[in-house]
Amino acid sequence: MLKSKRNEALVAAVLVAPFVAIYGWMFVYPTIQMVILSLQKAPLIVSAEGQSSFVGLDNYMRLFKDPIFYTSIKNTAYFLLLTVIPGTAMALAIALMVTRLKGWGQSLILSMFFLPYVLPITVVYLIWDWMMNFQFGIAQHLIAFFTGKPVNVWRAIPWFMPMVALITIWWTNGFSILLFLAALRNIPKEVYEAAQLDGATRWQLFWRVTFPLIWPVTVLCLTIQLILQMKIFDQVYLFSQGGRTQVTMVMVQYIFESAFIKNDGGYAATVAVAMFVVVIAFSVLNFQALRAGGSR
Amino acid sequence: MIRNIVRAALLSSALLGTAVGGALAQEHVVWWDFLGGGDGIRMKKLIDDFNAAHAGKIDIQATTLDWGVPFYTKVQTSAAVGEGPDVMTYHASRIPLAVSQNTLSEITADDMKIMGLSADSFAPAPWSAVNVDGKQYAVPFDTHPIVLYYNKDKLAAAGLIGADGLPTGLDGRDNFREALKKLQAGGTKYGISTVTADGSFSFRTIYSYLCQQGGDIGVDGAWLPGDSPAKLANAVQVIADWVADGTNPAYTDYPATVALFTSGDSAMMINGVWEVPTMTDLKAQGKLFDWGAIELPVLFDKPCTYSDSHSFAIPNNVGKPATPEKHAAVLEVIKFMEENSLFWATAGHIPANKAVTDSAEYKAMQPQATYAKLAANMIYDPKSVNAGVASPLFDAAGNAFTAAINGEVDATTAVTEMKAALDAL
Repeated sequence: MLKSKRNEALVAAVLVAPFVAIYGWMFVYPTIQMVILSLQKAPLIVSAEGQSSFVGLDNYMRLFKDPIFYTSIKNTAYFLLLTVIPGTAMALAIALMVTRLKGWGQSLILSMFFLPYVLPITVVYLIWDWMMNFQFGIAQHLIAFFTGKPVNVWRAIPWFMPMVALITIWWTNGFSILLFLAALRNIPKEVYEAAQLDGATRWQLFWRVTFPLIWPVTVLCLTIQLILQMKIFDQVYLFSQGGRTQVTMVMVQYIFESAFIKNDGGYAATVAVAMFVVVIAFSVLNFQALRAGGSR
Repeated sequence: MIRNIVRAALLSSALLGTAVGGALAQEHVVWWDFLGGGDGIRMKKLIDDFNAAHAGKIDIQATTLDWGVPFYTKVQTSAAVGEGPDVMTYHASRIPLAVSQNTLSEITADDMKIMGLSADSFAPAPWSAVNVDGKQYAVPFDTHPIVLYYNKDKLAAAGLIGADGLPTGLDGRDNFREALKKLQAGGTKYGISTVTADGSFSFRTIYSYLCQQGGDIGVDGAWLPGDSPAKLANAVQVIADWVADGTNPAYTDYPATVALFTSGDSAMMINGVWEVPTMTDLKAQGKLFDWGAIELPVLFDKPCTYSDSHSFAIPNNVGKPATPEKHAAVLEVIKFMEENSLFWATAGHIPANKAVTDSAEYKAMQPQATYAKLAANMIYDPKSVNAGVASPLFDAAGNAFTAAINGEVDATTAVTEMKAALDAL
């Protein structure tokens, strides 16, 4: 009895070893290196003239006094607020509409919503940069209709984050829609029929039948979105190039800027460690909140 | 069984050996550049010409990478692990950082002798820009300043073309401002289009005006010394005034300024000489008015224009030094490009090699020959690891100037913020 248990443990160890090895090599080791780097004053590339040296917690002291760092946290949080829940809600709404369509019509509409998802960010950037162009952009007619005059949305600070959020939702929503559609198709028709027999209204059908049954997928969508959008970098970097980058800075962008523009590898690692902590905090919060929601 | 495998392995490596041996006669030179626009097409022709002239001996394998931060990041990191190219284009303004990172190999006096070049082959400004602490790290290929493009028909209608056929009456800050209003009164949508959505691009123009007042951007530890902040604020205010007057469109990005100028909606444009091919090609297709390009007008005390240089640099591939044969081939490549840079001048850039700019062919080239005289009044980026294209200095300029030239904050505040950002580097 005891012996077989020991055997089992051995087999388990052998089976997980490849994963643990790769995980340790590709994730744990670089993470430890990053923390060590964050304790140094180090250029991006070490050479005869640019050596690295340990400076203790200096980088962290600097971080806590750095206004751009706080701006980047604030902007990232604002961006999450604008994308995660609104994006998921919009995906659900679109999925509810698409699921009512039948046959090739559904395929056509679905592929229209899914198309942006397959585009690389550079293409998304070029499309929207021209659409929103201050002089020639077609979307400026729409903006001018509401505001009375054209607005350069990539330079007017109050417009910047909401527009980036809108484009991000447009870009990444296809995947959430697919997930929701699959979930909606999994709900047996009998459940609706039974509810209708009991005289449920459409509103009640949604809130009492559909929503609880797709809640696990909603949780999945929210989590995927949260992780994805917390790493926001490309869109903000591209759309703010040459502009007021310090005002629109997000966290990953600040790591990039410190490392590759300011050639300050040590400080970049410090920002990365801080982001690591923030991401863990967010993930735990998200997990707890959604578990609480699911236990209703 | 095992013996068979060994035999097969030996055989295949022997075959591989002869293949490599055969290819040794031809030296491959891996080339990286960042020339993506009209000048990229012209560079491709130069490379093809080189390969044709050296068939069987040297072969350039060229790759074009994305301009700016992506290019320099890739070069720095790849050279550090010995995976860089054999030769590459490099902005002179970015050399100080590269030297501090040990990215570039020194170019020796012997190398220069082999190429038939020396310090006297170049104008002082580009030559100085490729030297750091008395050592040479690149060979200047061109200088690419900004210039004033103008629509000859519009300027003539406003009485701004002199007897020599060149623009006149544009010197002096107030004078220029009035000229813009006059052009606009004549029915043109904008007097001038300069990039206003990207403060790091405007930096080139603003830096020129700072220099025209005798101001100094400074270097690390002493950014904007003396009364330079006030002079820089003046320079920023020049563009802010145009935007406030409505003679220069607000929040306008690079492609839009070119579109406004080429469509006739703006009478003038300040941009790099690299837009010359755009105009030449449009004109050749019969889609453009009579145009020209001149040195920036003197708005303050003396002529002065911002410039940078494309140069050729040899990366210091750590752990993988080039063989003597490879090094000789690289020098041959640079020599060829320097000698054939007259064709490069059609891309708008002013060749750095004086032998080329002194030639009769170059002096007949228009508008290149007209603006080439500004080479005497050029200012380069300060020699600092924090300056140059896509540098923290450009970044700080983007943050400070974008808001100021569009009237969101006043020029003095923007300059104060910029100095604070630079001092914090």
